Amino acid sequence: MKKMLSQALTISRFTVIESLRNRLLLLSFLIIGISFAMVEFIGDLAITEHRVTQVAILAAFLRMSAVVMLTLFVVSSTVRELNDKTLEMILAMPIRRGTYYLGKLAGYFSVAVIIAVIFAALLLLYADAEQVSIWAVSLFFELVLVVALSLVMLFTFSQVPAALTAVFIIYGAARIVTSIFLMAKYPIVAHTSVAQQFMDAFIELLTWLLPDLHRFTRTEWLTYNTADWSLLLPLFGQTVVYLIFLSFIALFDFYRKNF
Amino acid sequence: MFYSHFLHKERPVSDVPLSIKIFLLISLVLQLFWHSVQEPVVAKAEDLPPPLSTRAYVMSSLGEPIAVSKFLNLWLQAFDNQPGASISFHQLNYPRITEWLDTILALDPRGHYPMLVAARVYGSIKNPEKQRIMTEYIFHKFNENPNKYWRWLAHAIITAKHEIKDNVLALKYADALAEKASGKNVPYWAKDMKIIVLEDMGEVEAAKILVGALIDSGEITDPYELNFLTQKIAALEKKVLEKQQSVER
Repeated sequence: MKKMLSQALTISRFTVIESLRNRLLLLSFLIIGISFAMVEFIGDLAITEHRVTQVAILAAFLRMSAVVMLTLFVVSSTVRELNDKTLEMILAMPIRRGTYYLGKLAGYFSVAVIIAVIFAALLLLYADAEQVSIWAVSLFFELVLVVALSLVMLFTFSQVPAALTAVFIIYGAARIVTSIFLMAKYPIVAHTSVAQQFMDAFIELLTWLLPDLHRFTRTEWLTYNTADWSLLLPLFGQTVVYLIFLSFIALFDFYRKNF
Repeated sequence: MFYSHFLHKERPVSDVPLSIKIFLLISLVLQLFWHSVQEPVVAKAEDLPPPLSTRAYVMSSLGEPIAVSKFLNLWLQAFDNQPGASISFHQLNYPRITEWLDTILALDPRGHYPMLVAARVYGSIKNPEKQRIMTEYIFHKFNENPNKYWRWLAHAIITAKHEIKDNVLALKYADALAEKASGKNVPYWAKDMKIIVLEDMGEVEAAKILVGALIDSGEITDPYELNFLTQKIAALEKKVLEKQQSVER
């Protein structure tokens, strides 16, 4: 067990080192710079609710940037390991596949923490510190799920375009599935056709299968100071449950792979 | 010297074939030419489309209603802010603007931005008919939630009296404000807006009293809003002064 942990930590450390060599940190600061310029410009346009307008647009932009950046990093770095045969070399050593997966996951989580902290630091200029802290923790939870989802999709498709497309579609669906479900449940014109009922059932199935991401990292926490720390408990629960689910899907695919 | 080619990741610019450099320049010139022959982008007020449903905006923003609401505020505002489009206030379809304001408020029910633009941007044009649409919109929203929107009705009262010049309408709003806005957050003076309507008071004085009272009661906290309203009053003062000078001459 101790050996397994040490191996996982080594893999995790090298994942973080890779992120630094990939200039991910530099990219984060570049996004911070662009966001700052954008939000100051927006501030000049607003004639009232100046701070609220800035915070709302900045928070949404940073959230999306964090998700896109981390997905691209996870997918491209793992594909590189597959193509460079680094993965084969690691697996040729006395290392379990599960240990490798755990190590990669821990490394990507560390990168997610760094990104969440850097992005939250900019928001501190515009929003209440406590609300920003809650937002940052929630963003980290969201990024944890994005990392796990990216690994699942990569192990399933093994191709960058397919994996990225699948991650963004599933992530987008998880963010809006509740709205779609409400639209289907309370239609303006009642529908009874079999096809429509099938679609309604399918949408309901999605709400059961996808994580409830619309509750995560909410902009209103920053704009209207509505969050408290207790809000994070259900988000933590959802993150743990879905992370376990995604991890076992990834491991299922990973153990079946021949190299 | 020759080996330096292999030591660096990139070769020197001189290694790029001349034809590639020439075509690169030509393609850049082509792009600039293409841009120069395009029609310049101008604000077209009549192009204001009807808003989509709030859910469509929630979904298209991946579940960020507040962010999309703030973005739509700026986008709608930009219809009049673009260079060369100052007359577009009059061209805009006002009933459609109220649809947009409603959609933006539905996306962020705590926001007041749409009410400010209804009262002080779209409600400030020199067209009584269109101003009436805006004051009626504010009155409609006030009736939905008097304790939340009372201060916008206070602005509408001044618009009704001094710009639309309809004392009956101003009194109707002032009565509604006194009767329905009963929350603790509503200051006493707001219930006495009738005085402003009935007294023979100039527009500048009335606007100054209102803004001053709003600041005292802590309703205006945003420095940008204060700056915006102060500029409006300064513009009014200038207009009144110019009118007086032309009469004297």
